[in-house]
Amino acid sequence: MTRRAVLGTLGAVGVAAVAGVTATSSAAAQALGQNEPIEAALRRVFGGRPMKDGRGVIKLDAPLIAENGAVVPVSVEVDAPMTPQRYVKHIYIVADKNRIPVVARAVLTPDSGQAYVGANIRLGESGSVRAIVEQSDGTLLQVTREVRVTVGGCGG
Amino acid sequence: MSDVGKVRLRLPSSIKAGDIVRVRCLVIHPMERIERDASGKIVDKKYRYIDKVSVTYLGKAIASFDTTQSVSENPIFAFTFKATEPGKLSVTFHDTHGATYEGSAEVRFG
Repeated sequence: MTRRAVLGTLGAVGVAAVAGVTATSSAAAQALGQNEPIEAALRRVFGGRPMKDGRGVIKLDAPLIAENGAVVPVSVEVDAPMTPQRYVKHIYIVADKNRIPVVARAVLTPDSGQAYVGANIRLGESGSVRAIVEQSDGTLLQVTREVRVTVGGCGG
Repeated sequence: MSDVGKVRLRLPSSIKAGDIVRVRCLVIHPMERIERDASGKIVDKKYRYIDKVSVTYLGKAIASFDTTQSVSENPIFAFTFKATEPGKLSVTFHDTHGATYEGSAEVRFG
């Protein structure tokens, strides 16, 4: 075996190991510096489940133009009941163009009273910001907003 | 950066029983971004950022956040809770270096 072949094999093993880790871990635990495209991130988190259009139900509040990508206030409000039988379980905030696209996941309970979360996020460049809502019965809803960023905030 | 870990909670000034209350909380934290060296390679180190936020009210977990480095420095999180009785609302932040920061507020009616 040549040196090149050995290194190539090692590299493949490394990639496989990383893939194995991320497949089982939560949205929060991505491998270091993972330059993950949005499609891969969504597939990993939601496993290709169908997503409905959440317009009219989800209110995603984000600035049209964010002057500073390092601090972009985003809030998500869902017009849905929060009863023990049926409630909003997760709210995901996703930034399509970020190297780490899944920004945050909120886990809610019926005691939250209302499905509302807000956070200050980073945006690397102009692009879509999505809010994806998972209800307790597994229904997925999403809305998208375009945000223009003047100065990127993700660094490297 | 001696302020790291300072937590501030902001509640509305008057809360009535049964209200759904919006809370904003701020934590002072660097939320380190991925760094690259001159050749563009990612610096391999354990980055320090908050990866978990949990909210409890009257000792019961009501919401939590799983966060990544895509969240800004000195992050602000907003959430709601249903004020059923007076008591303690507390928010705990956990970072990747194992540190935890806690902030709390007393919920009073009136």
